[in-house]
Amino acid sequence: MLKKGWWLILLLIVSFIAPLFVTEFYLTVLCEALVMSLLALSFNLLFGYMGQLSFGQAAFYGLGGYTVAMLMTKTHFNFWLSIVAGVLVASIIGLIVGIFCVRLRGIYFAVLTLAFGQLIFFIVFKWHNFTGGDDGIQGVFPPEFLKSPTNYYYFLLIIFLLSALVLWKIIHSPFGQTIVSMRENSERTEFLGINIAKYQLITFVIAAAIAGLAGAIWVPFYRSVAPSYLTWIKSGEPVMAAILGGPSLFYGPILGMFIMTFFHSWVLGFTIYWPVVMGILILIIIFFLPGGILGFIQEKVNQRRERLNQLAEK
Amino acid sequence: MFLQTQGITKEFGKLRAVNNVTLEIKKGDIHAIIGPNGAGKSTYFNLVTGYHRVTSGKVLFRDKEITNLPAYSRCNLGITRSFQITSIYPKLTVYESVLMGLLSHRKVTLNFFSSAKKFFKEEVWRTLEDVGLADQANTLGDSISHGDKKRLELAITLGTEPELLCLDEPTCGMSPEETDIAMSLIKKFSEERGLTILFTEHDMSVVFGIAKRISVLHQGTLIADGTPQEVRASEEVQKVYLGGSA
Repeated sequence: MLKKGWWLILLLIVSFIAPLFVTEFYLTVLCEALVMSLLALSFNLLFGYMGQLSFGQAAFYGLGGYTVAMLMTKTHFNFWLSIVAGVLVASIIGLIVGIFCVRLRGIYFAVLTLAFGQLIFFIVFKWHNFTGGDDGIQGVFPPEFLKSPTNYYYFLLIIFLLSALVLWKIIHSPFGQTIVSMRENSERTEFLGINIAKYQLITFVIAAAIAGLAGAIWVPFYRSVAPSYLTWIKSGEPVMAAILGGPSLFYGPILGMFIMTFFHSWVLGFTIYWPVVMGILILIIIFFLPGGILGFIQEKVNQRRERLNQLAEK
Repeated sequence: MFLQTQGITKEFGKLRAVNNVTLEIKKGDIHAIIGPNGAGKSTYFNLVTGYHRVTSGKVLFRDKEITNLPAYSRCNLGITRSFQITSIYPKLTVYESVLMGLLSHRKVTLNFFSSAKKFFKEEVWRTLEDVGLADQANTLGDSISHGDKKRLELAITLGTEPELLCLDEPTCGMSPEETDIAMSLIKKFSEERGLTILFTEHDMSVVFGIAKRISVLHQGTLIADGTPQEVRASEEVQKVYLGGSA
């Protein structure tokens, strides 16, 4: 266990001492990477494990964020309860959208999630009196002790780690085994007594809840929320992160999102043509590392292990 | 009454694939459905297992009407099937595949927080040993031989601990040796686990070697139903199917 998990322990230590070494700018980038990784993990529960591409995941992220922003600025609701409310709103809308989406698979599922995502975006964007429209909502402040970026970083880190642990447990549970079986062969799984639509719906709601949580904890750090959080462009980010890092591995989307977020803030230092750079990066990955970066590493490690085993047998 | 179809008909557009078939499958039997290509065997199968819905007629399982139940509900009642084109999990290991049937049947698939690997170890290993796949437990489904895939599918379906096991062409594409192994397995499970088996098959030596009861379909219509001797003796069957040579 220790031997296999050494890199995980190392990463945990690094993540806990990171604020001592990085500048405030990069601490902010680190916070964003954590939150977006949570969004990517929620997306990959659907994509990597259940095998369905959701192109509207940012809608739930935005809903979580908007719920927190509106409750805290308009009704001065408690910070913690606002976050809980953000998760709840995202889950409930996820349930309603999910009821329609889970009847479909493949490209139809992807297009319908995209359509619902854009619909939710449009409502938020146009309902000026209620949501602030394209102005968004400013002045969302966390409690006093979380106002320093370092403290907020630790808060984000703990929420991220707990959520990742919960997702990891779910994926390795009988429920997780069931959604993986649905991805592998939904007909076979249905004929083993599994109501496919029901399991798709539950997974969809869990993913919506986690995406909502990501949005809910991000907004008080950024102090504001804008309709762009819900757009399909935002929904594309977890898709690219999963492809970049490797959707078949739990940590793949996290790696992808960290690379994207840090690369983004670095590239912006000398060019505004970030999408071009990102596009080339994705092209390289798809052509040369079809399993993603982590998928590629995993493959190499497995090959090495096999060679060593063969040598040991001789 | 175990399984009964009452005048079931299935139409695909103008084609009547199954025509008014009334048939009873008795508990504990090994029951074969035979007929020439296009006779409606697979369609009849699909109507029993819920892959298709009937156009008219009724399907009853243990005196309960299941005509409009979806496939997964029928499976939960104890009807499991295999497919003519072997349907397995290509990227799951043999062990995980068999485990899936058990997880579903024992109703633990809504457990979110325990490790799936801890469940039903004994049962999975027993099933793997029964079908002779224990030494390939950690191999991926798509890396085993064709005959082994057929056996794997059988093992997966056994995981759901069915009462009625429907096998669509269980020896399709198998070598004669593999066919013998498969048939003795099916016989063994019928005896040891008290399974009722409904199967379709094109290989007549297999059918007459194992079936206790045979039903013959021709152009969607049931033309004979009885013991192998009775079916062999039926003039109509000889005319349309056995070509008078049997």
